[in-house]
Parts: sequence; structure tokens; C-alpha cells
Amino acid sequence: MAVTEPRNENQNVVEVEDLVVKFHVRSDSGKRTIVPVDHVSFSIKSGEVLALVGESGSGKSTIGRTLVRINRPAGGTIRFDGQDVSSIRGTALKEYRKNAQMVFQDPFGSLNPVKTIEKHLVFPLKKHRGYTGQTLYQKVGELLHQVGLTPVQEIRVKFPHELSGGQRQRLAIARALAVNPKLVVADEPISMLDVSIRAGILQLMNDLKREFGLSYLYITHDLASARYFGDRIMVMYGGKMMELADSKELIKNPLHPYTRLLLAATPGSHGNVNLTDQSNEAPNLDSERKGCPFAFRCPLATDICREEMPELKNQASASSRVGEHLVACHHSP
Amino acid sequence: MSNNNPQPVLELRNVSVGYESARGVVQAVRNISLTIYPNEIVGLIGESGSGKSTLANAIMHLLRNSAFLLGGEVIVQGQNVYDLNSKELKKFRWNRMSMVFQSAMNALNPVLTIEQQIADVFKAHRPQMSKHEIHDKAVSLMELVSIHPKHLRSYPHELSGGMRQRVVIAIAIALEPDLVIMDEPTTALDVVVQKSILDKIKELQKAKGFAVLFISHDFSLVAELAERVAIMYAGRLVEVTGSKELNLETRHHPYTEGLLRAIPELTAESVTIEGIPGNPPDLINLPSGCAYHPRCKYAMESCKTVPPVEKDVEGRLIACHLYTEEAVK
Repeated sequence: MAVTEPRNENQNVVEVEDLVVKFHVRSDSGKRTIVPVDHVSFSIKSGEVLALVGESGSGKSTIGRTLVRINRPAGGTIRFDGQDVSSIRGTALKEYRKNAQMVFQDPFGSLNPVKTIEKHLVFPLKKHRGYTGQTLYQKVGELLHQVGLTPVQEIRVKFPHELSGGQRQRLAIARALAVNPKLVVADEPISMLDVSIRAGILQLMNDLKREFGLSYLYITHDLASARYFGDRIMVMYGGKMMELADSKELIKNPLHPYTRLLLAATPGSHGNVNLTDQSNEAPNLDSERKGCPFAFRCPLATDICREEMPELKNQASASSRVGEHLVACHHSP
Repeated sequence: MSNNNPQPVLELRNVSVGYESARGVVQAVRNISLTIYPNEIVGLIGESGSGKSTLANAIMHLLRNSAFLLGGEVIVQGQNVYDLNSKELKKFRWNRMSMVFQSAMNALNPVLTIEQQIADVFKAHRPQMSKHEIHDKAVSLMELVSIHPKHLRSYPHELSGGMRQRVVIAIAIALEPDLVIMDEPTTALDVVVQKSILDKIKELQKAKGFAVLFISHDFSLVAELAERVAIMYAGRLVEVTGSKELNLETRHHPYTEGLLRAIPELTAESVTIEGIPGNPPDLINLPSGCAYHPRCKYAMESCKTVPPVEKDVEGRLIACHLYTEEAVK
């Protein structure tokens, strides 16, 4: 599979090559293996936001969790700053987590209800960065201030249940930042928040990106926020990459039938997609499957689609300034 | 009552709902008046804690757990819902008005087949129907929501989320009610599935002619589905507007405007978004005057003390001092 070469002089923070993740599951018919992430390659540059868009079962969260090494890859490599982190363990893994942090979807479930806000930040600051005493106290204050949790003195001593959803997500972000990471994997960080709060969290993540030169993998199901926050968007279906391009380009000029379907279904697009597709079935993730995972819902599908997974090809016209526009479809123009 | 308009399907007159709490009565819904006509889809938008689900339960006369109607009238098809005794109410519910609940995906009974659950409705409300008739009815309902009737024998866990949601909708419209209240029916569904459910709701609504009160927190979704949109904040209606006017070129309540600015637009050339500062209010400790004033960039002195009343602004109902002052001039 073609690996995306950096065209920019910017350095790649993350390089993922042919990543495969497998899970063994028990079902009625005995044990089987599913492949939620199937030969996926991408890179994230320093200071770049890669938005990863897909529906449930697309493998987007699994990629995020594998990137911070909660899951172990079954194949392929993850390089961080040039170093292979795909199978590191122990101290090396702990060290790596200083660089790669994760913000989870549910700010109600990812905080410890019996710890004060301050304690949530004291732990990583002490453990990973060795701050103590007055410096530690100051650093906690700084972090809270940076994520907009003010007045700091009042917030410090509160417990998570005393915060609103938006405030909790800010704390989760502060906790991720505490170890001074280079990469933040944000898995649907705004989807559980109220509409009026979401924009503030996106803005905060944007500000922090500039301030700290952070790179993000922004995982979402919402193309509109992906377009806003992401420099590039990668669309996944059934564990496979369908399309990857500059955000504006992808929304303006979607080449994959699945991306087009997603776009048309997104509220606000006023798309009149004819969903002949009543199949509410989840994509087949079985390790034995063949062909393009989207074929069974695809209006353009032909025999070859059901037999053979199309390769990712660069479809950007030579004249365009959008760089790469990767598409995996037998029928893309 | 106006004579020209058809009889409204739903009329809310100054509805207020309270909750008993340790710190006294908390008003979750304050003085809401709203009318829905036949064949209409009205969207109700609000954030968590705005009282939108409480209002839905109040309409269904389903308030419980220390919640109660503080005042006002809920009139469905000319009938005051709160004048019915419990026996009448049981008949009235589902026959005349039904509801699709939030997280309806989990509203189905896991140990009964789909057919048993659809049949339940008929057994309770149409005792004269034979088993055979009920089965036929169940088959046609499944076809109506585009699910193969073979799934009548399935258990809920055997269906996908989208299919379960369709079943729940089928159950809600089984007795052909005049009003269907849908409380966040597509939350937790994938966008493509969501779109197909919304299309289905529109299609059914056109075919059957029931009115829908569609409750959601998703602005762009409601704007696409409903003709009129009511926006709630801290238990009050702050605006009722046509969905076509939901853009920044039109003048709105500052909260509506804030929401419009907070949503990234999918197709615009450049996107800027702006969050609304602060947090949704605590109902126990509501700000004085207009509850939105601590977050409002246009807030004036009067906003801190006097709650604004609804005014007609170019055909939209807006409760904001920006417009009342203007009206006075």
C-alpha cells in the first residue's frame, strides 16, 4: 500500500504504516477474529490536526487507542518522532505516554469522582514531570488557567460532579496537557456536550495547538467540526481508509461514494441523498472478508468491489494546490 | 380562539412545571405557550436542563418523581389533558398522542419479540381485534417503516440501532395518533442512519398527517426537518421562528444568534465559530431577570431585573429586551 510521503518540510510527528488491529471475539458460531483496523497508513505533521471521520464500527476509536498504545497493533508500525513505538512496553511505553495523550468522549466517566480537580492534575505533574511544592501548586494553577477553568482558586478544590460537562472536558484536556505532550488524540471530545459549549472546546483545542505546537488526531463522526478543526480529513469505513485529503478539498470535492453519502446525510448540507440504502447493518469486520467493506451499501458497486479491496490512489489533479487527495475506490473518476 | 385557523392539535397555555426538591420547588418549565397545527412539524431546541424533556412529559401527562404541573393548560385536540381521569387518560394516550422517548433504542423489552411488543399496543387499546388482524396490522406497520416483516419474530438485540428506532416509531404511530412527540429520537445513531430515520419521519408524517413535536439539541438537524422552531432556555421559550429564517441575516434572540454562531458550517468557504461564554444555568439558582443575561453580549441593566416578555418581531416571537425597548419607541 502506498505510504503518504510528506510533501511539506514540516516534520511528521506520527507515521503510521500498514497498521492492523485484530480483536478476538466470541459469537454464537464460536470464536472468530475481527479486524477493526485493516492496513491503514497515515501521518500527522507537527502542529497539524488530522480529523478522522467515520461511523460506529469504522475503526476510528480503535486507531486512536492504538496510537496512544492502549491497544497493541497486530501488524504494521507506528513511528513517533522517527521511533518505532508499535510494540514498546514498560518504561519505554510510560515514556511514550508523556508524548502522546488522549482525551476521551465522556467527561463524566473519565474523571475520578472522589478526587478534587487539583488532584487530577497533581498526579501527572508530579509523576511525569517531577514538580513538587510551590512549583507544583503554580503549575496546577497555570494549567487550569490555560484551559479556561477560572476562578482557579475556587475550581481547585471542587469535585468533578460540581463541574458542568464543558468544564469537565476542559479538565480532561488540562490533564492531557499536564505531561506536555506533542500529540493529543481527542476521541469525540465534544459529542456529549451542549451545543453552546462545543464551540468553546474546539476553540480551546485550536488555541492550545498554536500555543504548544500540538498535533492532534481528532476523531469525530461530524464532518462539519472535522472541517472546522482538521487540516486534513481521513474518512474510514469498516476498518479501511476510504479517502484522505485537505479538509476543504474533501468537503468541496468528495471522490469516494461513502464520503458523498456521509456528506449528504450530514444535517445542514441540504443534501437530498436517496438512501435506497435501508441496510442498517454494521460493516463486516471479519478477518475472512473480501473486497471493499462499503460495497454492500454502495450504489456504484460492481463485482470487482465485492472481490478486491481497491488501492488508495492519489487523485489530486496536477494543477490543484491541494496536495494529496487519496481515494480507495474502483470507480472513482 | 381564532376562527380561520384549523383547530390546533396541541395548545400549551402558560404551562409551568415544578419539581419538589430539598431546597423548595424548582421551576423547570416556566410559562410556556405554544400552538401546533395539524400536519405540522415543530422543532423544540434546548440544551440539557432547559426543560424540553420535562415539557414533553408534561404534555403526555407523564410527570412523576416529584414533578408536577404548577399551572397552565395542555390541550390536545380540544381536550384538556389534565381534566381526564386516569382511565380516560390511558385511552387518550397513544390513541390521540404518543411519544418516542429519548434513547428509544433501549425502550424495547429485551425478552419479547418485536411482534409481541407491537401487539401489546393493540391488545391494550383495541381489545376487539383478533389475533389475525393484529398480525396483519403488525406486518403493515413494519412495511411502513421499511423493515422486513420477518423481523417480527426477532428480539430487539437482533436488530441494529436504526431498526430498533424504526420499530419504536412504528409503535408510536400504530393507533394513528394526531400528535407524536419525539424526544431526541436520533441521538446515538450514525449520521446516515439518522438521515434515513428523519426522511422516514417526514414521509410518514406526510402520509398520515399527524403533527410532530420534535425535540432535539441539534440545531442544524431541526432546521432541516421542522417548519417552525421553538427555542428554550432555562425553562422558558425565548424564540419561536420559521426554520427558514434561522440564519444570521435575520434578527434573533441573542441566544439563538449565539447558537447559530457556535455551529461550524459545513460548506461555507471559511468557517469561524464562536462559543457562548459561561455555562447553562443551574435551575435551582436561576439568574434574575432574563436567565440568559450573564452569557449575553447585549445585556443591559433591565435584563438583570425584569424578565422579558415575548414580542412579535417580523413574524417571529422573541422574548428579549432588545426588542421590547424597540417596540416601546
